[in-house]
Parts: sequence; C-alpha cells; structure tokens
Amino acid sequence: MQTWFGKKASGGSPPPSPRKDRSGLRVGIPKVLNVWSTSQFWVGFLRDLGIESENIVFSSDTSEEQGREFGKGRGTVDCCYPVKSISGHYGELIFGQKKKINIILSPMIYSLPSFMRGHVSETLACTRVMAGPENIKAGFMKESDVFADNGIKYASPFLSMAEPEVVPKQMYDCLKDIFGVDLAECEHAVEAGYRELRAFNKKMRDASREIMAWCARENKPCVLVLGRPYHMDPGIGHEIESDLQAHGYPIVWLQYLPIDDDLMNWIFGEEIKAKKIRSALDISDVWTSSNSSNTNEILWGAKVAARFPWITCVLRLSSYECGMDQPTYTPTQKIVEAAGTLFFKFGDLDSTKPAGSIRIRIETIVHYLAKYSDQIIQKKLVLLPPDCPLLAGKEKTLAAVASNEK
Amino acid sequence: MATAVQHYTSYKARPFTREQRDTTTILFGGLTWKHERLVQGVFNNLNYKAKPLPNITRADLDAGKELIDVGACCPTIFTTGSLVNFLKTEVAENGKQKTLDDYVFLTAGACGPCRFGQYHESYEMALDGMGLKDFRLFLLAQDQLDQAPEKGGGLEINMPLSLGIVWAILCGDMLTDMEYQTRPYEVNPGETDRVMKESADYLFEVFQKRPIKGKKWGLLAWHFLSSYFADALRVVRKKFDAIEVDRLQVKPKIKITGEFWLQTHEGDGNYNIKHWLEQEGSEVLPPPVAVWLGYLLHTPIWRLQKKAVVDRKVKTKIAMVRGMEKLYVGTYNRFRKALGNVPYELPDQEELKNLASPFFHYELRGGEGHMLVGKALHAHLHKHANMTCELSPYSCMPNTMSQGAMANVQGRYPELLYAPIEIKGDAEVHALSRCQMILTEAKKRAQSEYVEAMARTGMTVEKIRRIEEKRPALKKATYRIPHMGYASTAANYVMHLAGAKAAV
Ligand code: SF4
Repeated sequence: MQTWFGKKASGGSPPPSPRKDRSGLRVGIPKVLNVWSTSQFWVGFLRDLGIESENIVFSSDTSEEQGREFGKGRGTVDCCYPVKSISGHYGELIFGQKKKINIILSPMIYSLPSFMRGHVSETLACTRVMAGPENIKAGFMKESDVFADNGIKYASPFLSMAEPEVVPKQMYDCLKDIFGVDLAECEHAVEAGYRELRAFNKKMRDASREIMAWCARENKPCVLVLGRPYHMDPGIGHEIESDLQAHGYPIVWLQYLPIDDDLMNWIFGEEIKAKKIRSALDISDVWTSSNSSNTNEILWGAKVAARFPWITCVLRLSSYECGMDQPTYTPTQKIVEAAGTLFFKFGDLDSTKPAGSIRIRIETIVHYLAKYSDQIIQKKLVLLPPDCPLLAGKEKTLAAVASNEK
Repeated sequence: MATAVQHYTSYKARPFTREQRDTTTILFGGLTWKHERLVQGVFNNLNYKAKPLPNITRADLDAGKELIDVGACCPTIFTTGSLVNFLKTEVAENGKQKTLDDYVFLTAGACGPCRFGQYHESYEMALDGMGLKDFRLFLLAQDQLDQAPEKGGGLEINMPLSLGIVWAILCGDMLTDMEYQTRPYEVNPGETDRVMKESADYLFEVFQKRPIKGKKWGLLAWHFLSSYFADALRVVRKKFDAIEVDRLQVKPKIKITGEFWLQTHEGDGNYNIKHWLEQEGSEVLPPPVAVWLGYLLHTPIWRLQKKAVVDRKVKTKIAMVRGMEKLYVGTYNRFRKALGNVPYELPDQEELKNLASPFFHYELRGGEGHMLVGKALHAHLHKHANMTCELSPYSCMPNTMSQGAMANVQGRYPELLYAPIEIKGDAEVHALSRCQMILTEAKKRAQSEYVEAMARTGMTVEKIRRIEEKRPALKKATYRIPHMGYASTAANYVMHLAGAKAAV
C-alpha cells in the first residue's frame, strides 16, 4: 500500500551523486494544503539532492493540540482552517523535533500539475494556497526572526508546478544558497520529483480502479469524496469518509479516480461524439471559469459521480470560509444529483470534529445508501453503452448485470 | 440508449445579434459613477445603447444574499444584488420578455485564482433563481483588448471599444483625483460636486463624439498621439479653476487601498467610507483604476523574464511590453499635465514589487497581489499619506493573505499607520469605529506635521493669508502644491509658501 507521505523511491533512475554532501541536512516540510497532492514530488526532489529519506520530515497531521502547542499567538488573520492551521505545522517543525531541523521548506505553489491540464483554462492553486506561506511566515517574523533564532533556514520557493520547464529555475533561485545547489542539479532533482509524483499517482489511480472494478463485478456501490486534497488530513477532513467506510462502503477520492482511456470513453464517449464536450476531462459544459486546479477537479469528479453507475453517493467536504468552494456548492450538487446519485455535503469544517452530528448524518447516509443504491446503479447503467471496460475479461456483461437485477 | 436523464449544464448566454443592437441596452457597472458615465459615452460613440446599473445600495446586499450560495464575498453579493434589483424592477414595469429582449449585461472577467474570476457564476445562479435564465450575460476579459466577437455579433469587443474604455478610465481617474484633492478644502460647500457633475457630463460628450481614426494600430496610435483628450481635460481644468480652496485646513491624508471593487466603489457597498473620512476631517487619496491596469500591463514582463530560455524572441516581447507601458504612463502624465499636474503620478510597478518583496512574493496572484503591501509601504516611505486604509471584503481570499503579511511589515515599520477594514456590507458601525481609532492617530500626525512646518519656516497664518492675497492663484483648486516631504497638504503648503527645502 502506498502511503501519501512515504519516502521510499518508487523506481526510475537512481539519484546522481550530488555535488555536495547533504546527507546530514534535515529538511522539514509542513504537511499542509497542496503538499498533500505533491508530497511525492518533494520526496523525489530532495532525495535526488542527496537528502536522506529519514531526514525528510513531514509535520504531523493537523490537530487542535498541534495548533495549541506550537502555533498559538502566531496567527495573523482569521481565515479558512487549512491555512490557519499552518502555524501549528511550522511551530512543530521548529519547536517540536527531537532531532533538529536545518531547513523548513514551505513552497508557494502557484499552479499544479493537474491531470486536467490542457483540458481547462488554467490549473492554478487557490490564492490562499499559493500565498499561505507568506502569511504564516509573518507570524514567525513580526517580532523577531524565529527561524533564524532557532538556527533554521526558511525556504519558500514560488513554483509554477503546472509548467515543469520553469520549475528548475524557480527552485534554483530560491534554494541556491540554502542548499548550495546549481541549476543542473535542480533540473535533475525536479525531474526526479515529477517522476516520483507520476508513479505515485498512477499507483493510486490503479488502486481506485481496482475498487471500482470490484464494485462493478459485484454490483456494489461505492462512495466518492469530493474535497480538496488536504481534506485527506484527518485534522482537516475529520475522517468523515472513514466512518462511512466502517459501514462497508468502499471509498474513492476524486483526486485518484482512474483516467484510463477505456473507462473515460465508456463514461464520456457519447457526449464527446455528440460534441457536448471536447474530451473526457473537459468541464466547459458545467463550469465556465476553469482556472482553479482543485476546483476544476472537484467539478470533474462530480461529473464522473453523476455518470459512473456504482458511485451511488458523493460526500462533499468543504472547509469553513472556503472562498473557492463557495461558488461551486450549487453546481456540484446539481451535477451529481442529475441522474439520481446521492449527495451529502459536510460544509464549514473547522478545527473541531463535530463528532455527534457526523455520526447522525452517517447513519442517514448509510440508510439511503442501503435503500437506493441498487436503483441508482440501474438508472445510471442504462444511460451508458453496454460494454463496461471494468467488466472486460469477465463473462458477466453489463446487460447481464442489469438483467440479474431485474 | 435512454435519454430521460438530462445531465446538468451551466448557463450559456443566448446570442446577442447585430440586428438587436439598436433595441438592446448594455448594462454594466463596478466602477465609480464618473468612470461609468465616460464608459457610457464610449458605448454610445460606437452606436451601442448602454447604461450603468444604478449605484449600489444596502438593498442590493439583501437581494444578492437571497439568490446565491452562502459565504460569498460582499462585492459578489452587492454586484449580483444590484443586477437582480434592476431586473426585478424592469420585469415589474415592463414584463419578463421585454426585459430579456431589451437588456444584456456586460461584466469584467479574470482568469485569476480568486473569486473575482467567478463572479459571473453567481450572476448566473441569481438569474436562474429569478427565472431569468434566458437573460444574456457576457464576460469581458480584462487583459485582452481585442477579443473574438461574442456570439451573434451584437457586441464586438474590439480595439475601438477596449481603447475607449481604457481612456475613459484614465480620464475618470483624473476627475476623481481632482475631486478628492479639492472637496476637503473648498471654501464654498458643494462647489466641487457641482463642477464634477459638469465635468463628467462634458467628458461624456467628448467620448461620445470621439473620432474613430483607423482600425487597429492606427487607432492605437491616434489614442496615444492625439491631443483630443488632453484638450478636453484642459477645459475641465478651467472649470476647476473657478473653485476656491483653503489649504491651510489641517487634515490627515488617508490612502485608500484594498480589494479592487471595494476600494474603487463610492457608496453603500463600502459604507461610503471615502465620504465618511472626508466628513471626519480627512483628505482621501483615492485609488486610481489606472494602477490596476498598469499592473496588468507590467506583469507579462515578469512572466517573460522567468522563461527557462530568455532568447531574442522573449527579449523583443519584453521590449514591446516596456514600450507599451511607456506610452501608457506617458498618456497618463499628459492627462495630468492638462490638469496642471494636480493628479498624482502612477507608482512605479518595479518599485512596488521591490518594496513588497521581503513580505509578499510579487508573482502571487489574486486580488491586488503584492500591491497592497507595496502600496502601503510606498505611501508610508514617500510620505504620501498619514495612514493607509485597506478595504477588504470579509473572507476575501487574497486580501486575508496579504493582510497577514502586513503583520510582518508593521513589525519592521512600527510607524506605518495601517487600518485594515473588513467589510461585510451590514456591519457599518463596527468597521467605521475601527477606522476611527486609527484615524485619531493620523489626525495627530497631520497636526504635528503642520506645527513642525510652521516652526521650521517661521510662517504664521497671518503671513500666509497675506501671501494668498497677493497671489490669488494659490487659492485655485488647480494650483499644484508640490510635495515637500510631508504627507498632509497643509504642511506641504506652508513649506511651499515659505520657499523652504523639502522636509526630508
Ligand atoms: S481552497 Fe478554500 S480551504 Fe483551501 S486554502 Fe483556498 S480558501 Fe482555504
């Protein structure tokens, strides 16, 4: 099983011998925001520069205790919790390590290497995702430079991760003095980072495909989570989906939905033929301003959920005061519900897990899932061509599934 | 295959055709009444019927809230509500079909990462909620002067239109700068407002009668080179000449910055804060829209400089953008000159970037990006204002980030008076009292600047009055007081009259 923040190389070319010995450097990365969708890039990048795996330190999952212990008094503004919580992560890396960190690496991720690139206008990060580090840094510098006071170098490269060709230079500009790297080393390391990230994403997509294929074979429902990557953080998303999983419903996250051609053609092929959309990853039919990467993916995930028969329920997660999600509430719900897929929104998620209300709502969801899933699967099946690629190789055809149900 | 299920699709505007142009009115909004009046002139000039939406009121906030998803920022709610209320009245008076046929709405769009790029999604939701999904809404991308004709050809977003709008904005800025430098010191109350109205009407005519010389490059050259607009502004200057001012009144100078819509707006949408500040005895430094346009014009240079390979092609592009920028700033300065150089210069974009850099990366986009930090520091370090009042919508994504960075700025520049005001639209007392607290300190500073200037120059009020009697031009609104190292006008005035050297 892949873990999000695993630090073992997934293959590919071995790292070159770095020009400088960096084996003693310990690098801390706040595990926040879009680091959740790019973590393996960072692992690949740093390992390639000669940083030992054990010296790549991701901060812990977000928690209220972390914020209380390490981030108190550091916040400068009131905003969404995924950003506010970053102070605790910084503080933990500065004050909460047994073995001292030498460098804090907190990227300003301007754009993302989304799988939807080329099919949408832009794949920008939320403005708070990109600027969050500047905001949080201020809380650690307003009175004195806490990083320097603790012998830590602070590195915050501005990165257009959607454009791999400019990333080495961006890295180099920021890290040349801190890591003592040259441009060629950065180029090599950036390439290694992207390779790691691609490999990881592929594994995760394959894993989701397996789950979805199992659902198709067994004719069982699964649940899709529509949220931002950092809702995978137990302190941000509050593990709502796990509570549902405990009731036996497989969970897939939109970020790792399979995008293989066969499956995409099955789901969207008719609409492409009818020229309603240009490609399976085109969302112009439902969303005009396709600028924000995570938003684009959420809308696309909603479209998949509306069409893929065995996704019978969507869990929409959204953080309190999230300005990016706000205009999407109604459209995503309308997209999902058009063909009868169940839609449940957990909005305004903040620092405290509303355990009681989550429990009650999970019971409701389980009830609806049990009652309506078969009906929903049937309703959506008849809208798609008969040859589901997830059932290929099996004698059981979709028609058979349908007639069995009857 | 069964087709009973209709998958969701978003709003698509039905076409606005060339034939409908004479009977259809283009609605627009989002700027000050002055800018909007001149933009209206531009539309008329190109044979469009056009009308700005009525100025924002509190009722628009309620109307907007009713129809869009909760949690929207107040500029979105206000502007949506304003359209909603206008359409409601029209439907009530003239019926649904006539409203659908008679109007289209044109709004600015952006491919930015914040909600500004998604305003129209809210408009669309509101139209849907009102049962007016057939109402036509078009997006004007603010960074492209020449866009593909909108479906139907009813509205052509081309060079004549875009250049006209940009020039109208520049002239609107000129008027606004004159207004805010004059009104606080006018001797006869109400005179500035009257002259403003006259001037805006006059410039409206000027834009309405703009000759269209050439198509693309020819037209561009004409706009840059012709004296048509500068001559018109000289007429405006004459109108302002007649206003008598007394600049010995000590008033703190308050620079307004913030989210684009809120800082530009004059009305209920920002609690009429500019007006309120004037009533509280301040001089307001309004934010020119031209700074934003300058930012849009300049940012491609940074993007080009970041290219992996900066070859000749890239260098040529950079040179072209720089050339365009020079012409743009040159035009602004020509307009300033026509008004006796009373309107302020545009800040240098590179300087704003450099000032902001230690605190906020200049490539971070959304809202005003690094400019909020840059502008606050620029005003403070150059002593252009005693205080910066930053207007941010509650929960504004980019502004909350740069406001956080301002904590760092204030740590390093504790003298910088900074009032970040959060605007929800319905919490006026709270916002204004917060502003009031910091304003009290700004007033003290303006007063001590004045006392210092008097002491340094040995001037007295009597002496100054005598000089004024001898030189009546000093009392004209169009007399330019040079910057003598103080923020407040009165202190600079004293220094100027004494022929003293700049304070710093
Ligand atoms: S997308 Fe929403 S939750 Fe995430 S950083 Fe932006 S505003 Fe906060």
